[in-house]
Amino acid sequence: MRCAKWLLLLLCVFSARQVCAGDTLTVVGMIDMRWVSSNAETSYLYGGLGPLRFDADNDGFRLGRAMLAGNLRVTDLVTVHAVLDGYGDDPGNPIDLSELYAEIRPFPTNAVRWSARVGAFYMPVSLENRGIGWTPVYSITPSALNTWLGEEFRTIGAECEARWLGASSGYYGDVALVAAAYGWNDPAGVLLATRGFALSDRPSTLFDGYGRPSINFYHEIDHRPGFYTGLSWRHHDMLELRALRYDNRGNPGATTADGEGAWNTHFWSFGGRLEPANHWTLVAQYMDGETTIGADSLGAEQYNMTFHAGFVLGSYAWGRQLLTTRYDDFGTHQYSGFFGPPTDEAGHSWTLAWGYDLTERWQILVEGIRVSSSFPPRLSVGEPLARVDSQLQAAVRYRFRLER
Amino acid sequence: MRLRKLFNTENRLAMLYSRLIRLGHNLARGGTATEVALGPHPFATWITLACLAGICCGACGAAELSVNVVDRQGHAVGEVVVTAAPVGVVVHPAGNPASAIMDQVNRAFVPGVLVVAVGARVEFPNDDSVSHQVYSFSPAKRFQIPLYKGKPHEPALFDRPGLVVLGCNIHDQMVGYIYVTDAPYFGKTDGDGGLRFKDVADGDYQVTFWSPLIADAPESLTRKIHVDADGVTSTRLQLTRNLRTRPEPRLRQGDWEY
Repeated sequence: MRCAKWLLLLLCVFSARQVCAGDTLTVVGMIDMRWVSSNAETSYLYGGLGPLRFDADNDGFRLGRAMLAGNLRVTDLVTVHAVLDGYGDDPGNPIDLSELYAEIRPFPTNAVRWSARVGAFYMPVSLENRGIGWTPVYSITPSALNTWLGEEFRTIGAECEARWLGASSGYYGDVALVAAAYGWNDPAGVLLATRGFALSDRPSTLFDGYGRPSINFYHEIDHRPGFYTGLSWRHHDMLELRALRYDNRGNPGATTADGEGAWNTHFWSFGGRLEPANHWTLVAQYMDGETTIGADSLGAEQYNMTFHAGFVLGSYAWGRQLLTTRYDDFGTHQYSGFFGPPTDEAGHSWTLAWGYDLTERWQILVEGIRVSSSFPPRLSVGEPLARVDSQLQAAVRYRFRLER
Repeated sequence: MRLRKLFNTENRLAMLYSRLIRLGHNLARGGTATEVALGPHPFATWITLACLAGICCGACGAAELSVNVVDRQGHAVGEVVVTAAPVGVVVHPAGNPASAIMDQVNRAFVPGVLVVAVGARVEFPNDDSVSHQVYSFSPAKRFQIPLYKGKPHEPALFDRPGLVVLGCNIHDQMVGYIYVTDAPYFGKTDGDGGLRFKDVADGDYQVTFWSPLIADAPESLTRKIHVDADGVTSTRLQLTRNLRTRPEPRLRQGDWEY
């Protein structure tokens, strides 16, 4: 991770130098203030096992997010992206980097266009988090599936994409093949085993720990690079389909000097987005995978847990308004090993969200979530096995854009 | 030899005259700047002469060619490129072709389809709120415009006939077309699916239809037509396959992007 930090720092310095040299810079900022009412079990951010971002003891007026995203054009073909985030729940650094990467995208000279990203960035799975800085565009809170991807995963490495541009052949759409190699993400899986799935718009950041007890997901333990490879198809601006295979190739037996083990996490992810008419959008995603941690760090038996998560979302946009409803289903199954009570989880949730763009800069969002879940580790903290947790949020967002 | 020269001179005058007429028609129906030549034309004197010649020789160039395009269900199809080229006659370009504009607004090329004569210069202003990188790798014109906003670049010269597919290297959903033709008569159908070429010299013409939304086989989109010296010659194209659909890019204020 030290190497990665130096790489990121170098990118920052390089970016700053280029800004001084007078290149194109776009900065987008957002401040999200919200009022929250929740009856939920204590969130992991405040030391519990709750499935939501806020809870009965941590609601009221809150900072939803303070974001500053920069897009710097270093040359005509190379851009550097950086996202700084503050969520107001971290007692350490109030602001941290979420993403920092350079992208090279040469002009296509034939129907296949190559591009590459190097740095720290989200893998191309979520069909909800399409806004700048991985902001969900249909609701305040993303699905359980995408919440987890934001919490435990960041690609710190290099990604290459080959995209067939159909327009040159008279076809409205394209097909893309993507592949990435990365490191510094070996703890990915620990939060799912500890807390289970959650619905939260609070992704982890690169350098700070996440929640209590604090976890930093971004360091290298086994010195084995992971990979993902994916295929996507965009048809007539109406349909987008994606499939991705992720495997961090963690060595389940590897540990650090202070006993932290590497998690071997791999999954398949599938998603589709359909915009059949002028008002409707339908999104569905599903993932299925397994995570393993080795005998060396936990005792005699290897810990194995399978997981799945999926959601279906329908969104209706008219004028400046947007109404979204989503059904989430998720679960885990521990079939070997010992890590406290078995972490078998079964849950589902309903989300209803309404958004209104007051102006280009001001936006109002209201969202209600109801999660029903059963999670055995709750028994160890004095909570009932099965719970229904609810959360109502009203957010006011102010956004701005600066260019030079 | 002398006859051919005479024909060419007449043809050139007729074309200039018809271009002026088209220009007037475009302005009359509130045509956009992309469809009409703007500012004093470098060949204004020639156009005036051609106009006079056209008025004087009304009897020798009064033929009209009227085309109409309907879809499989019989509904009018607008924005279809139609070209008419005389068969077996070498046509020389008439002076400097009109310049044209391909704008960029709301992450889309405007117009989506532009038809220009060989030798036309096309400007690519960017009136969008975000920057674009316009490119084409079509054989008829390969070019790249580095990232820009506003109107900072020289117009691009389209000196070969053919279809030029435009893209933006930042926003892959943006697709635009420039149809470059060496036919003396060309245009796009209006909202009623119609297009009229006035003062067409009589003779045999090859009429070609093209639109990115038409799915019919290219062979069925070309036909030979004889234009009589007087009166109106009409032709109607009914498509046999359904039009391709392409929804307009959906932009919400909430969808911020670079």
